[in-house]
Amino acid sequence: MTVASQQGGGALSRPNASSLADVVGVILDKGLVVDAYVRVSLVGIELLTVDARVVIASVDTYLRFAEAANRLDIARSGTETKGLPDLMNQMQEGGGRRKTRGALEGVKDTVSDLLQGGEEDEYEEEAAEEEEEAPRRRKKSRERD
Amino acid sequence: MTAEDVTACYVYGVVPDDRTDDAVIEDLRPVGNPEARVGFVRHGGLAALVSEVPTGKAIGTPEDLRSHAQVLDAMAAAESPVLPFRFGTVLRDTDSVVEELLTEGREDFSLALERLENKAQFTLRAQYVQDAVLREVLEEHEEVRRLREELADVPEPAGYEQRVRLGELIVNAIEAKRQTDFQEVEQRLEPLAHAMISAEPAAAEGLVTASFLLEHGQLEAFEEAVEELAEQWRERVELRLLGPMAPYDFVSDALSADKEAAATAGEGGG
Repeated sequence: MTVASQQGGGALSRPNASSLADVVGVILDKGLVVDAYVRVSLVGIELLTVDARVVIASVDTYLRFAEAANRLDIARSGTETKGLPDLMNQMQEGGGRRKTRGALEGVKDTVSDLLQGGEEDEYEEEAAEEEEEAPRRRKKSRERD
Repeated sequence: MTAEDVTACYVYGVVPDDRTDDAVIEDLRPVGNPEARVGFVRHGGLAALVSEVPTGKAIGTPEDLRSHAQVLDAMAAAESPVLPFRFGTVLRDTDSVVEELLTEGREDFSLALERLENKAQFTLRAQYVQDAVLREVLEEHEEVRRLREELADVPEPAGYEQRVRLGELIVNAIEAKRQTDFQEVEQRLEPLAHAMISAEPAAAEGLVTASFLLEHGQLEAFEEAVEELAEQWRERVELRLLGPMAPYDFVSDALSADKEAAATAGEGGG
């Protein structure tokens, strides 16, 4: 077995076990296709060929980046945005609770891992927040009508 | 009803018969049915990687996807050439694997395997670190800085259009960076590999996902070059190198190139 050099504090990440997102990216819609007439069709396979690509040039993406730029803790805005020190304080405050919740969070991680795979969670959550906000805005305007 | 009525034969891929070592795959979790075992169906110098799968149950759980990849990648890690099939390839039974797959495809598969001999796929995933790339964009683009300043004091519901505009400028600026940085990846790594295929990133933070077909002897120099790149871009780009894995991105070419070569040879061309 070819064992490549492992992460020795280097900048390059060589994961031993691929995340689900990696696996999906690597294998989905790839590989040789066997002629349909010799194949047995199974339930559920069609779902997997759904194009999972995100449209980069979308208003949602633009708003996400505008928000990220506003949140960005550059020297000028050190006090008005939630910078690293704030976040660290919050983590310390939540420290006691964290331990007792550990098991539960473990479960949550597994479930979200199942659904969308590791490192994409953050983006998914942010996107979900945006989606939640949009209908609220619409509701308001309807009330005004 | 007999057992044959409710089970079928899941096919992972094809390898040369003389590279089939049961120890490499026998302990791996099969697709669809944890109680089944991954094994080989051998015929005419080829061997298909298979396991029994129930036909009444949907497959495609995250575990199933992982299993599919693990079986194929285990062969690649054992330095066997392997032709990966698309996830979800299922044939009626092992007889039909022999008759309809290995017999029919014998010539094409053998040629493609020869072509992939001594090679494995490695995939590089590069993604910008959001804050770092935003800082670069702010430094380099005056209009982005100005818009951001203007919006800093505008409460959320107002300024919607400016926000969209600000985001669009940022996304476009990142796209320009992506093109430059992609060229860097290509120039440094492509010469070190047998072949390279790249895909557009699926997220705005993505720089590139590039797959490389590497000969075993090329790995060390290739890894060094990727390390160098990762070091140079430390803090701004996250680089992950996956592999060795089955040649998912190169298998179609290996098969069709053989057909072209055979056709050309048939015409008496070079």
